[in-house]
Amino acid sequence: MHFKDYYQTLGVARDATADDIKKAFRKLARKHHPDLSKEAGAEARMKEVNEAYAVLSDPEKRAAYDALGRGYQPGQDFRPPPDWDANFEFSGPGYGAEAADFSDFFAELFGRMGGRPREGGFGRRETRFEARGEDHHAKIVLDIEDAWRGATRQISLRVPRTDASGRVVLDTRTLDVRIPQGVREGQLIRLAGQGAPGPGGGAPGDLLLEVHFRPHPRYQANGRDLLVDLPVAPWEAALGSVIPVQLPDGSRLKVRIPAGAQSGRQLVVRGKGIPGNPPGDLELTVRVVLPPADTARAKELYETMARDLKFDPRAASGG
Amino acid sequence: MREGDVLIGALLEDACLTLDELSRACAVPPDWVVEHVREGLLPVPGESPAAWRFSSRDLARARQMLRFERDFDAVPELAALVADLLAELDEMRTQLRRAGFE
Repeated sequence: MHFKDYYQTLGVARDATADDIKKAFRKLARKHHPDLSKEAGAEARMKEVNEAYAVLSDPEKRAAYDALGRGYQPGQDFRPPPDWDANFEFSGPGYGAEAADFSDFFAELFGRMGGRPREGGFGRRETRFEARGEDHHAKIVLDIEDAWRGATRQISLRVPRTDASGRVVLDTRTLDVRIPQGVREGQLIRLAGQGAPGPGGGAPGDLLLEVHFRPHPRYQANGRDLLVDLPVAPWEAALGSVIPVQLPDGSRLKVRIPAGAQSGRQLVVRGKGIPGNPPGDLELTVRVVLPPADTARAKELYETMARDLKFDPRAASGG
Repeated sequence: MREGDVLIGALLEDACLTLDELSRACAVPPDWVVEHVREGLLPVPGESPAAWRFSSRDLARARQMLRFERDFDAVPELAALVADLLAELDEMRTQLRRAGFE
């Protein structure tokens, strides 16, 4: 296990005041907050910042960390001596579900002494939830095809566990999860009893998976509605036609394009979107694609249209 | 729940989480939720707290507001304002993507 320099993580001196630490944390939270930052790795960085702040903002933990970490360099191999924490008193309420996001280093140091992350002022020192384990949260990224057909996905979670000596260690747990057909972006999948174990033998919490869809080159989803761009040739749009549309399961649905459909025209096929109860709609957006005028024949055809059709696309706008 | 080694998830439909379930999922006392609903910072999910049912989206919003309140010591109204703006931003990004601009 490597030593983590929490002061370096927050960019503050070892003698920084509580106020300096809070300011540094907020500045970094502003930069890396997963709700605000689109940077790759922002979430992982925010976890490090949260962990450093959980220790340095708590006078008890900071004192213990300072005493233990004296002389260590970041990344240096580190193993705390047995019972190193015997002289410190920790008043935290226990180990919280959020600490699953923290490092092994944190778990090793604070695992058995109220090493719960910041309580945040929401009365989390209350004991009313102690009978039942906390719910865990995780994100799961799926393809639209998975929502269409249903799928089985493997997810890995870090879960705090108390070992025989009473110390909390972080286990990596792998679960195979069946994703039901018809799942929607932002929807939750509840895995009952797969959250944190209940203290004192209470019932375990649930694991709540929040569904996100990976961007797809052909399809987008709005709830269970499937949105598809439909490229058509000018004559298909002008004269009307029946066009096969490929669905996420590979099947094809024949759709009638009405004569005179302009680019941007939306066509809705009820009940042919993502399957479910009820199923979504299939929403097609017509996009007229011009054939290139790259041969003599093609140029001639365009010139014929220009001559014979007397068409002015700007007439309606007065342009 | 189990089918062999594969866990079967239950899809949470709209308006399905009770006050207790939402509070537990956010790891806050129910009072926190009640206060935020009464102040108009979370959608009013029904007649009385016993009949309230929250959606997946409400849970995501509540957890997002909690993070702002906790990480920035934001007052609840400010946390709700940021959550509103981010929701609008998300909606606009989605529309841009649909229009082929992203």
